[in-house]
Formats: sequence, structure tokens, C-alpha cells
Amino acid sequence: MIKFLIRRFIFLIVTLFVVSIAVFAISELAPGNIARNVLGNTITPAQEASFNQQHGLDDTAVVRYLRWMLGSDWQAASRVGHPVRQIEDDRGRASWWVVPEEASVLPYRNFSPDGETMYKLERQPDGSTREVPLGDEVWQENEQGEMVYWGVDREGRAAKWVRGAGEEEQTLTKAGWTSVPGAPSDYIPLQKGLLRGDPGMSTYARRPVAEVLFPRLVNTLYLAGIAFLFIMPLSLLFGVIAGLNEGNWIDRLLSVTSLVATATPEFASGVFLIVVFSAWLGWLPGAVVLPGDTSIFERPQMLILPIATLMLVELGYVMRVTRASMVEVMRANYIRTAVLKGLPFWRIVWKHALRNALMAPITVIMLHVNWLVGGIVVVETLYGFPGLGRYILEAGLNKDVFAIEAAAMVMVIIAVTTQMIADMIYVYLNPRIRFA
Amino acid sequence: MADDHSERERTRRKIHPGVFESQEQLWQGRISRREFLRVATLLGAGAATAAFLAACGEEEGMGGTEPPPAPTAPTTPPAPVAPTTPPAPVAPTTAATAVPAVAAIKRGGTLRCGMQIMGVDHPARFSWTEPSNVFRQVFEYLTETDENNITHPLLLESWEPNDDLTVWTLQLRPGIKWTNGEELVADHVAFNFNEWLNPDVGSSILGLWEGYLTPDGIEVVDDYTLRLNLAQPKLDVPENLFHYPALIVHPSFDGDIASGQNPSTGPYLLDEYIVGERARLVRRTDYWQVGEDGQPLPYLDAIEYIGLGDDQTAYVSAIQNGDIHAIYEPTIDTFQALKGNPDVVIYPRDTAQVRVLRMRVDQEPWTDNRVRLALKKCQDRQKILDLAFLGEGQLGHDFHVAPVMPEFVPMDVPMYDPEGARQLLTEAGYGDGLNAAISVGTGWSDIVAYAETLQADAQPAGFNLTLDTMPNQNYWDLWTEVSLGITAWTHRPLAVMVLPLAYTADSEGNPVPWNETRWVDEEFDRLLKQAVATIDIEARKAIMADIERIQLERGPIGIAFWKRVWETFNPAFQGVKAHPTLYHLWREVWYDPARDPHA
Repeated sequence: MIKFLIRRFIFLIVTLFVVSIAVFAISELAPGNIARNVLGNTITPAQEASFNQQHGLDDTAVVRYLRWMLGSDWQAASRVGHPVRQIEDDRGRASWWVVPEEASVLPYRNFSPDGETMYKLERQPDGSTREVPLGDEVWQENEQGEMVYWGVDREGRAAKWVRGAGEEEQTLTKAGWTSVPGAPSDYIPLQKGLLRGDPGMSTYARRPVAEVLFPRLVNTLYLAGIAFLFIMPLSLLFGVIAGLNEGNWIDRLLSVTSLVATATPEFASGVFLIVVFSAWLGWLPGAVVLPGDTSIFERPQMLILPIATLMLVELGYVMRVTRASMVEVMRANYIRTAVLKGLPFWRIVWKHALRNALMAPITVIMLHVNWLVGGIVVVETLYGFPGLGRYILEAGLNKDVFAIEAAAMVMVIIAVTTQMIADMIYVYLNPRIRFA
Repeated sequence: MADDHSERERTRRKIHPGVFESQEQLWQGRISRREFLRVATLLGAGAATAAFLAACGEEEGMGGTEPPPAPTAPTTPPAPVAPTTPPAPVAPTTAATAVPAVAAIKRGGTLRCGMQIMGVDHPARFSWTEPSNVFRQVFEYLTETDENNITHPLLLESWEPNDDLTVWTLQLRPGIKWTNGEELVADHVAFNFNEWLNPDVGSSILGLWEGYLTPDGIEVVDDYTLRLNLAQPKLDVPENLFHYPALIVHPSFDGDIASGQNPSTGPYLLDEYIVGERARLVRRTDYWQVGEDGQPLPYLDAIEYIGLGDDQTAYVSAIQNGDIHAIYEPTIDTFQALKGNPDVVIYPRDTAQVRVLRMRVDQEPWTDNRVRLALKKCQDRQKILDLAFLGEGQLGHDFHVAPVMPEFVPMDVPMYDPEGARQLLTEAGYGDGLNAAISVGTGWSDIVAYAETLQADAQPAGFNLTLDTMPNQNYWDLWTEVSLGITAWTHRPLAVMVLPLAYTADSEGNPVPWNETRWVDEEFDRLLKQAVATIDIEARKAIMADIERIQLERGPIGIAFWKRVWETFNPAFQGVKAHPTLYHLWREVWYDPARDPHA
């Protein structure tokens, strides 16, 4: 059994790896120019080139993929000669600094006003900075014979200054996109990489993707989790009841009702529920308004209608599969034998029928976990719920490439993980797999 | 707030000769009281002075009759007039319009408004009203144009143009403190002007000043005085200072207005700004403006903006349940859904907001004016207004001058004429019909209805229009690029403000950034420059008649109707005035818990 699970786990890792390449490639190949999305249609080719350079978009796809997965801080650290780390300010916003190993040296960033003299911006323990001019000896000759200096610039990117280049670069400063003398001539955008939980910056929100994506994921897991807790036991119960009463009025009632509910799309049943319970009766909120981080826990009644909408759609699928499976099992020879043996009915159902009948529903249920987390775009949009589904929709509309990539990977991880869990449940339910 | 200070001003300041000229016209009944007030305050007379002068005019010239109605009413063309009644508050009128007594004003409360929270960086680069609504609570403008299109000084104490309108002296209000304790001085304002005029910043404000002002023309006279030396006369300087990206920031601005670290002068402080979710603003205790009760404004403790996505269904549900108190920019559907609701007050206002059917004159087939004219003739305006906007608006004339603008010259509304259109198409060589795709953002239901009505009504003329639908966000990515499309344009108080933004070229002859049609017309350009330099409202109207005619005859746009807008509010909030641009000027809004149906 352990061997089976290990095999599945290795398979999971390989799947994730292949999918990450696919996600990255699709995002890369998708039409749309990131620089134009961010800066507007009126930018010049020079501004575009500079933007691409500053964000590492001019590197090859392989380099960008590796940076996306593994990060770039280690690469930058080898250039700079000191570790490059994130430091959080008192508002919880992280920024990149050079952090030398020696405790006596303060973290710093660099800038050069003219391309001749390098300055160090030392970060004081209270968060303020102090400018310190550096001597000529900091410039180092590279293979091309240029005098170069690697550091972290004021925007938090690893940057290469070339002495005497006097370069003027378009850069995002206080004055917007403007030409700056003494600007660096090469950049490595700093990120920790997906494997360490940092999928990069959102080009639309101009904040790290993880900062927005994580709370959205938590919201959705909360909504989907509660929905799951209601949907699955209920649908299994109804399915079993219907299956045991095959053909009589209970079965008909349950089957027809669930079919109608499932066949009605969520934008229709959702609006119906809102009109009845929110607009007419005024019992329940018809939208999810979250003015604070903890509001979702403070006013759980806001979630009732979204969950009810999800239930109406979901209940039918699992119920019908369970019913069919139950009907089939109840017709099996070993059940007939059990009945003839004189076993009590509940015991036949509980001990002999149920376990076998649950195999098919488990597969459906696990597939639907995935749907619940990412596929509830319609429900999230209808109720204004700030979840992962709406995040993906908005990221798509804003062509926020790094956000789409990250959200897609989260979805894939959830999909693969739920399949893994389904496999483990099979092992428990079906000894044939265990001993294979 | 402006009254006591204008009182002082009246006694010590020279009044611009243009004011008296306008007063003369008012006496003669040539302009309405509202136009006079606008011109007088534009020229720096101060609201109280203007009202005083206007009152003199009425007594002597008109024998104390009622002030003439708003300029729109008598001037609407006789033929296909909009059958709509003038807007009036829809729900409990008494609650909404009653002027609060001083004692009645209560402090405290949180106003929660449903509005999208967008990505931001530099305010000068705002190209949406939504972010400006959040940050106008925190930062301020030099001037402020109120809901009647009258502009007042805000951070300024006064402005004064020279006689030919080429030198404007801006006088800052002393004693305004940034949140970092520094006083607001002219150097800070000069920093902002330099940002706006820097092409690398990429601000739409640049289009307003192009050809008029360069960084060399900004002169800091003393700590409180700034002089703008213009290359040509310009009338709408005070109004341009209220263009929504023109928020005044401190020179230490860090490039990210949402960082919460930037010193500000406004009544609220930014507490949090989470893109796509919410923004929270809390009351500043030492704001420079004082309320009716003698304490610093604002009255509310906090304002929260909550984003519920692109679709307004959730906003409607939320306001009905009292979870939010206002909806930003309710659509016509939202208006319909809420208008009978006793728990929601609706404040309507006619505007210069418009859906512009725009054709790129540098792309086939719109290079040919006959084709453009043909498509314009295919608009059955009343039908479009009825189908797209349920009749809630005023009919348009294919020129970008709205009936609510003071320089509007009434003209006959062009009739629906598919025969004439077919003839023009044949002349242009499209006798067999013309296929074209019209780009529309599906988030604007009225734009979709406009396009669909046009599609059906243009069929007899030989146009085979297909709708190229896309989400609004995608339309905004392409809006200057598509060949034929319908673009949403916001309200501006004067025609001389919007026309230079969209139908002119820069000094090098290239269309300005927002010239989505690339249409540049030499005669139009020359007349527009004249209009922009003319104070005399009658003279300006004479020029404007030609400008309107040129755009009507050979312009790149069709305009079927002008929109009405609404503010939808929980009745507990008092002092709400619907602004034509739906700008949230909420310093003096206060909350009366006794009137809250959800309290």
C-alpha cells in the first residue's frame, strides 16, 4: 500500500511540473503586451524596452521559467557578493535589501547620481535610511573590461551599474516615467520563486501576487468548505435513500427535484434565491460585503445564499451517481445472499452495500472539490464574493499575467491533491487496490 | 465655507472687467443668471460677489422676476424634443431636500459605498473616476466645480487672470497644513504642475495644457502666489485645475498614492487600499475646513469603498439590505430596480456624460466623410434614447457640446434618414453595402442597446454592422485603437474643456493622446482656439455655433443622447448632492441614524 501511495505521490509531482510548464507557456504565448497593458498605448519603443529590461521580460523563456519557479535572489546574491533578502517594514510590506552576513553591517541599497560615484542607502533599525558615498574601489572589472557594480536599486531590484556609462534610463520614479542619469544598465527582478511561495508581482495591483491571492484563496476555501460540509452528506444520504427505494414515490420525488435543481444554472437559481429571500422577505443578505479581514467570520449569514445556490447545483450530481451505484449494488448476488441469510436490513445496507456503492460517488465528489474551489466564478460574481474564482476572472480581464499563472497553479495543486486524497480513500474502501 | 472669505475678498480685490461685461449681459437678459454666476466665478469674483452682482442685475434689469430657467429648458429645439420631464428627486423628497438646521447636524457614522477598487500609482495618471473618488477624500484640488457647474477656489484662496487671459495669478489659501505638519506653499503646487506637464508622466492633464503652458511658464512669486504665463489666452483654467487626476500631492510623493505614506491635505486619511476588494478612509481631526457646528469637517467618522465586482446585481442586493449605503454610478438597470424602493433615495442630474459613436478617420472606410455622415444619419435618436436609456436623458446632435454646457447653441436634432444615408453610401462607392464591425463593451448595457438599435436602423441604408463585443476592460485596452466603436465619455463642465482633449493635435501635429478618432480639422482648430480665449458668452456662443456645425457636418462622431445620472443613497445620509460626474464631494455629508431604515 505504501508503494502505491509513493507511486501516486511521484506521479503528482511529475504532473505538477508538466502543468507548470504548460501554464507558463500558455501565459507566454497569449497575445497581449505586458508593457502596454501596464503603461498604456502611448509608450515609446524605448520606454517599452526599458520596462521589459527592468522586469526581466527581455530574458529567454527558459530563464524566466526558472526564475518563476526557483526565484532570482540567489542569482542576484552571487553577483552582489552578499545575500539579498526581504525585510518587512512596520506595515507588513516586504522589500528587498542587500543583507551582509556580518551583523555589524546594516542592510543597504544603492544608487548613483551620475554613474561615477556609487552611494549606499543604509537601512537604520528604525526603518529610515542614510546615504553613504562609496569609494572608487567598489567598481570591479568584468570580462568585457567594463567597471561594474552590482547592488540593489531603490526600487528593490538587483541592478548593474557600469562606471562612466552615464546612461539615461526610463525608470519609474517619483516623477513617473522619466530619464535618470546614472541609472543601472541591467536588472534582475527579485523574487523568491513559486516553490518558495512567491509567484511575483501583479502588474495590475502593483503588489506581490501572493499578498492578494492568499486571502482570496482562504475566502474561497471557507465558502467551498462550508458548502462541501452540507452538500456531501446530504447528497449521499438522499442518494442512498433514493437508491434503496428505487422506483417508488420517494425515489421519484428526490430524483426529479434534484434533476430540476441541477439543471437550473446558478445564475438563474441564484437570482431566484436573492429575489425571494433577500428582496421580498428580507431575511438574508443578498450580497457578500466584507469591510474588514475578519468580516467573513463575523457575519456568517452572508454566506447562506451563496452556499444554498451551490447546493442546488451540486446536490443533484452526487445524488444521482450515488443512487445509480446503490441500485446496482442492491441488485448484486451477495446482497441477495445476505437477505436470504436473514441479516437485518440496516446491517446489509451499512456493512455490505454502502462501502461498495460509495466508490463511484467518491470520484465525483473529489472532482467537485476542485470545481467548488475554482469553478464558482458565477456564484462569486453574482454575490460579489471576493474569492479565487473572481480573482481569476479579474486577472484575466486585466491581463495580469503573473496573477493568472499563480492562480492557475493554485488550481492545479488543489486538483492534483484532491485526486491524491481520492486515491487514499479508494485504498481504504477497496482492499483490491490495497493488495495489488 | 467660501462665503466668509469671499466677503473679505469683495472689499479688497479688483473685479475682473469681464465680470461687469457679463453683468451687463445679464441685465439685458442675454444670458441667464446661472451663466452669469459661472462666468463671474470663473473670473475670480467669488461666489458671494457674483450672487450679489447677479441680484443687482435682477432688480434693475428684470424687475426682480424669477431667475430665468436653466439654459437648457428654453433652448431645446422644437421638433423631436425629449418627452421626458425634468429630473426631480424620486423617493422621499422631503427627507432628501430639506436643508438641515445647524442643530440637526450629527457627527459620526460610516458611509459604505459600493465601487470597484482599481490598481493605482500616480494620481496624475488616473484614467478612471473611481480611484479619484477614493483619493479626493484624502488629497485635494486647487479648485472645485460644484454640482451646478460653478467653479470655486478650494486650496486656492482666489485666482485672477489679466485682461487678455494669458497670465493667471493663483493665490493659495494660507495656513493649510499637510499631514506631516508642513504648510502648503506655492513650491508644492509648482511641483505638481511640473508633474502634469512632464510628457514622461503620461498624464491626461497634459492634453488640457498642451499649447498653453510649458514648465517655463510656471512662476513662483512668493510662498502663496503662483503665476501661470500662458502662450495663448485660456478661459477654463480654474475648471482644468479640478480635472480629476489633478490632485495636489506633496513633493515627497513616493510614486504610489496607495502607499498611505504620502502627506495629504484632505479631510480623510487612507487607512487601507486593497485592489479589487476595499478601501477605508478615516476622519482627519485637524482638517482646515470647519463644519456648521464650528468643529473641523468632516462629519462622518469613516468612508468605506467596497468592490463587489463588475456586475451591479450584487450592489443592488447589498444596498437593499443596508450592507452598503450608496452605489457608485448606478446603471439604468440599477436605477430601474431601485426607483420604487422607499428605502433608497435617488438624486438625478442631467449631464454631459455621453456615449460617443466614434469613427477613426485614418482608417477605411471612415476616411470618407460621406460614409461617416451616412452612419450618423442612421441614428434614430429618440428610439436609441428610449431603448438604450429608457428615455432618461437629452437628445444629442453629433457634436460634443451638451445642452447643460453654458456655451451650447441649440440646433435642430438631425432626423433619422436611411434614404439619405443610402444615397451618400452609393456616392462614396459602397452601393452594394458596407460591412463594418462596431466594438462595444458589454458591461455598458446602454452602449450595447445603442449599437443594436443602430445595427437594425442602418440596415436599410446598406450598412451591415456586426457587433464586436468584449468586456469593458478589454474595450478600454483598445479604445483609441478600434476602427468603429462606442466610447463612454465623462462629463466636463465646459465644451472648451472637452473639445481640446479629443479633437485636436499637439504642437507637432500629432493627434493628442485621447484623440481616439485622429480627426484634426484646421478650421475647427482655429475656431476652438478663439472660443477658448473668449469671455463674452454671446461672442463665444457665436463661435461655438460654427464649431458645432463643423462637427455636425464633417466630424468623426455620432452622439445620439446625453445621459442622466443618479446618486442612489440610503436616506439616512444628508447633504448629498449628485454631481454630474458623480464625483464624491462628501466633506459635508452627515449621518442621521433616525432615518436609517436598516438601523
